[in-house]
Amino acid sequence: MSWSVVARKDFADAVRSRMLWSIVGLFAVLMAVSALVPDLLGDGDPVVGYSIAAGLAETLVPVTALVAAYLAIAGERESGSIKILLGAPHSRLDVTVGKLVGRTGVVVVGVVAGFLVAGVVALAVYGNLALSEFVSVTALTAALGLAFVGIAVGISAATSTRSRAMALAVGLFFVFALLWDLVPLALTYLRTGSLPTPGETVPAWQMLLQQLNPSEAFGQLVDTALGGADAPGAEGGAAALAGQVSGPVPFYLEDWFMLVILGAWTVVPVVVGHLRFRDADL
Amino acid sequence: MAVIETEGLTKRFGDVRAVEDLDLRVEEGEVFGFLGPNGAGKSTTIDMLLDFVRPTAGTATVLGYDAQKSPTEIHQRVGILPEGYGLYDRLSGRKHVEFMVESKGTDDDPDDILELVGLDPEDADRAVGGYSKGMAQRLVLGMALVGDPDLLILDEPSSGLDPNGAREVRRIVRELADEGTTVFFSSHVLGQVEAVCDRMGIMRNGRLVAVDTIDGLRDSIGTGSSIELTVDTVPDGIETLTIDGVSSLTARDGTIRATVLDPSAKIAVIDRVRDEGATVRDVTTSESSLEDLFTAYTTDRETAGDGAEGVRA
Repeated sequence: MSWSVVARKDFADAVRSRMLWSIVGLFAVLMAVSALVPDLLGDGDPVVGYSIAAGLAETLVPVTALVAAYLAIAGERESGSIKILLGAPHSRLDVTVGKLVGRTGVVVVGVVAGFLVAGVVALAVYGNLALSEFVSVTALTAALGLAFVGIAVGISAATSTRSRAMALAVGLFFVFALLWDLVPLALTYLRTGSLPTPGETVPAWQMLLQQLNPSEAFGQLVDTALGGADAPGAEGGAAALAGQVSGPVPFYLEDWFMLVILGAWTVVPVVVGHLRFRDADL
Repeated sequence: MAVIETEGLTKRFGDVRAVEDLDLRVEEGEVFGFLGPNGAGKSTTIDMLLDFVRPTAGTATVLGYDAQKSPTEIHQRVGILPEGYGLYDRLSGRKHVEFMVESKGTDDDPDDILELVGLDPEDADRAVGGYSKGMAQRLVLGMALVGDPDLLILDEPSSGLDPNGAREVRRIVRELADEGTTVFFSSHVLGQVEAVCDRMGIMRNGRLVAVDTIDGLRDSIGTGSSIELTVDTVPDGIETLTIDGVSSLTARDGTIRATVLDPSAKIAVIDRVRDEGATVRDVTTSESSLEDLFTAYTTDRETAGDGAEGVRA
């Protein structure tokens, strides 16, 4: 399996990056602090801590994944090590797949390490891990990481230099983290001529546009997994959407479709990026 | 069997014609020198053989495989020292060799490879980020030797090496060639190629301007020696003289230079100059080298060296 040789070497190379471990360390510290918050508030429920952790991860994991993977291929093209990599009997597809797998490994290890720290803190402080919530939030965060690794590897495959890859990665991060929130506002304004008012319902397709952001899809899944622990008394996930959408909740707003969205973000950018890489002069 | 064969191979980058209509044939077991100044299209040609760059037109076949259709089959059987490569700065030299061994699925012992190219065991265990250019060059040469390749493609292998290292590269090339490995060796320095190559091709402005054996190229300059006389006064009309076996005669500032096709003509030149009334104060002779030929093929005619004029005329 040629791609697995690439993935293993890539993992071995990436885990030697100090920058990456600083980010993972910061992530672990923030996860641990999140797990402590309920205790500081006089609440004994670790699930509330996981919810806060997931809220932080929603921004931190995209940054970590983009940093971990945006140079995966573009960096090698700029440094020329791609000639060593492709000079060995690996096809360009082996390289793309190997890079996706290798960098996913790095991010998943980082996410799991961060949550393990949070879990240990939770166990020590509350004497209770809330195992199923812990496992689901960890797995969902890893899936969010995977989606952003897909985006970053796609960017990296499509670009030939470090600076272009970085510009695209930073740009996309701001699109997802900031700009995306303005889209529903703009759409409501265009539809109704005024800004949204509290309690107003929106068409399902507008809600879908909003949820196409991997971080939003992740947020919905976390709400479901934690049963709306962040807003006590409220229902989580798709059930919470029922009141916000005009008419019945279509399939594309259900929780399972959020997994499809995360999956699509993992695969589609890589495919598009690979098609450019496949035809590129190195 | 041709190990490398290109037909009408062409690469344009926008308006730049990097390689133009290249027909090249390298036979099994030969050491082929690929010469030309920087920017002549050597590396682009090699990049097309290895599918790093896609041709605009034409085809390239390596070891019987189409370079664009079957690059991994080619890379499995070819050892490569590319031009402008980078390394994984955080990984050790040994890890690099191990990666190549794993990639090719061979059972080479990385230590043997490292020893063969003269990389110390302590250096091999260090991250390559701290390597000198020469050490990196040895490492990549070692990686190219993994899996006992049928063809070795070396793009400027001596760059960054001191004379000792360059000599060692030539020794390794010679040894491999003796074992039957075909070697394709590019350089902009003739001396690197002359000593090891059976045949050479000279590239200029994207075109192959000469291909022959070393002897064949020597023959094409004639015996190509020259004689230079320092005289007290240059006799009038000396440049218009016709002397048997002399292809050109020039005079300037008390020096008369003649390019001769036959060594015995040198004496005739001296005799004739003295007959014309000049006193010869000093005589130097030189064998025109392949360097002159290389210069002639790779520079514009106006600036070509004297020894080369006979070739172009």
